[in-house]
Amino acid sequence: MPAPRRFRICCLVVAALAVLFVPGGFTPLHAQTPTVVHYWLWLDDPTAPMFDSLVKEFNASHPGIKVEYQLVPLSEYHDKVVTALAAGSGPDAGRFKDWWLGEFVKLNALEPLTPLIGKWPGRAEIIENLWETGKIMSSGPVFMLPHQFITFYLYYRKDWFAAAGLKPPTTFDDFLVAAKKLTDPTKNQYGFGLRGGAGGQDQWLAFFSAAGGRLVDGQGKVILNNEQGVKANQWYIDLFRTLKVAPPSAPTDAYAQCLGAFQAGTTAMFAHHVGSSVMVTQKPGADSVGVVPIPAADPKKPATMVTMAGNVVFAGSKQKEAAFTFISWLSEANATDKWSSSREGQLPSVKSVSKLPRYTNNPFFKVSLDSANFAIAWPPLPGVGYVSAQGWQANMQRALVGQISSKDMLDEIARALQR
Amino acid sequence: MRSPGRFSAEAKGRHGRGGTWVLPLFLLSPALALLLGVVAYPICRAVWLSFHRFEILRPDLSQFVGLDHYRDLLTDPVLRIALANSGLWVAGVVCFQFLGGLIGALILNQRFPGRAAIRGLALIPWATPSVLVALMWTWMLDGNYGLVNDLLVKAKILSRFQPWLAQPWSALPGVILADVWQGVPFFAVMLLAALQAIPEDLFEAARIDGASPGRVLRHVTLPLLLPTILLTVMLRVIWTANYMDLIMIMTGGGPGYSSLTVPLYAYYTAYKRLDFGSGATIAIVQVLVLAAVMVFYLRQLRKNEVMVQ
Repeated sequence: MPAPRRFRICCLVVAALAVLFVPGGFTPLHAQTPTVVHYWLWLDDPTAPMFDSLVKEFNASHPGIKVEYQLVPLSEYHDKVVTALAAGSGPDAGRFKDWWLGEFVKLNALEPLTPLIGKWPGRAEIIENLWETGKIMSSGPVFMLPHQFITFYLYYRKDWFAAAGLKPPTTFDDFLVAAKKLTDPTKNQYGFGLRGGAGGQDQWLAFFSAAGGRLVDGQGKVILNNEQGVKANQWYIDLFRTLKVAPPSAPTDAYAQCLGAFQAGTTAMFAHHVGSSVMVTQKPGADSVGVVPIPAADPKKPATMVTMAGNVVFAGSKQKEAAFTFISWLSEANATDKWSSSREGQLPSVKSVSKLPRYTNNPFFKVSLDSANFAIAWPPLPGVGYVSAQGWQANMQRALVGQISSKDMLDEIARALQR
Repeated sequence: MRSPGRFSAEAKGRHGRGGTWVLPLFLLSPALALLLGVVAYPICRAVWLSFHRFEILRPDLSQFVGLDHYRDLLTDPVLRIALANSGLWVAGVVCFQFLGGLIGALILNQRFPGRAAIRGLALIPWATPSVLVALMWTWMLDGNYGLVNDLLVKAKILSRFQPWLAQPWSALPGVILADVWQGVPFFAVMLLAALQAIPEDLFEAARIDGASPGRVLRHVTLPLLLPTILLTVMLRVIWTANYMDLIMIMTGGGPGYSSLTVPLYAYYTAYKRLDFGSGATIAIVQVLVLAAVMVFYLRQLRKNEVMVQ
């Protein structure tokens, strides 16, 4: 090969390599590479297109930031985040439950957001008392930006109640009368869909609180296993063990089984939140389903359970400001309304959105938002993550099948909460 | 062309001069690196973890605790339940899979129309992903509207639906049933292959000598299948002891601890309680128990071989 030709080929190869491998080799100076923010979340329905369209909208309106997201099932979310953070490959920001706050803050894995919130114009729009769900102490920094929350309420079969001459239950007495009257095992029909399987701790906390039990006192000391707590828990266990108003499958029933039993006409009442309101209005149908707040032992002291699904920035992130820009954008009116009005809809944390007619005129949203006034959250203790993932389920099931007493169960949970 | 003798003499000569291990070592190094990376390192790491209180997100706070985790496990009532459940799970699954597989292999070894198609279809449970098997059986055994209950009530075997997976006495048998359904084809295929390798002359000779089908099975088929049976049972015991997908999805180890097995307990301890030290210790206990069972099994195997010889 003649030398000049070889030289030309070499030049071409070098030029091609430069284009391929030199970062921004021939990129015009003004077209900067956007900051990539890795965001993880779970969705109850991973096929829902809502979140993908929100990310596209954000990326189009923020040319300096590119959000890349990853969906992880809720049941695996905690484990995956922990192991990814430990391996140094965790996300910059993520959707987060108040259940895990104590554990992650103890491990210094979350970025305090208070300084960034101070510069965020949307902060005044967040419903005031919801800031507490993102803190460990009232006077401490905010670690989780409020976003979507739920309160537990009670679905009941309006048609069955009318046929049996029963009024919608507001007290434990009403609830028990209705549950007993609507239980007929020969027809495979039961008064209440008790959830002893995965995720049942939220339903339990709603009834435990409504029965007068409390997880912690004003100073944050764990008191759930005191006399009042044991009594409240015994009342809940007895629904299955002695009164037998729950299906025999209750010890292991999870969300799918409880929803399925209510839709199939196996249960007359079922405690859940707005996330399932679209499903129950499809089957058994809007005319057959009513909704009331969780009944209370003492009508003057109503209580239920609230849990927040907010957003956090992880302490190891190198893109903290960009990550906060995205999660704060999610908590603004436009994105919140799109999320809350989708199939994934939960209660909006934004004042102006919660006042929109589409929520205030919707009976499920209305009961949920009203219940927020007396709702109790899981305390931000390091053991809540384990209790909600496995500890509660194992001990509740042992109590339901008679292997341990109400007191033993609460002692075990108290130990796990305080570890 | 070199004769084998000359080649071997040359090899011996090179060996004697030293440095002859360089090339074999070089050629083996990828496999060796893989083994060290994916087998040796995790084992060493698990042993190290079992002597430490390990904070996954704050490794700097990890502490050496000596034998504390092992001492705690000696008095842990949940581990005792998990060990008993593991024993029942392995014994139940392997016995019924073996019996089902043996019957399946004997049937599939017969000549009948559509045999090829049925041999293919019989593999479907084995080829179905565990998650699907778990979900399918969870709904089939459902206490409110499961197919199994429906059939048993219609056949008048049961008077009312039973929550199979929600009762302490039936939860583990329910999961065993699902795994037996999934694993029978494995035994059937392995035993069928071994059956087909038995020379037809032996069966013919036994029949000519007047042996009944039962005696042919006992004195010809089973002894010749024995090496395959022993090997597949050993593999299956190890796989089943470590297998937790089905249990995790179908019952989560519940109700209570009724279907909790040792690997599931190790997983919950490590990943749900974030106690990686105790989780690793439970896993090591499982390895030691399994190793003891395997040593006993291999000794029995050797005794059998001696007897056969």
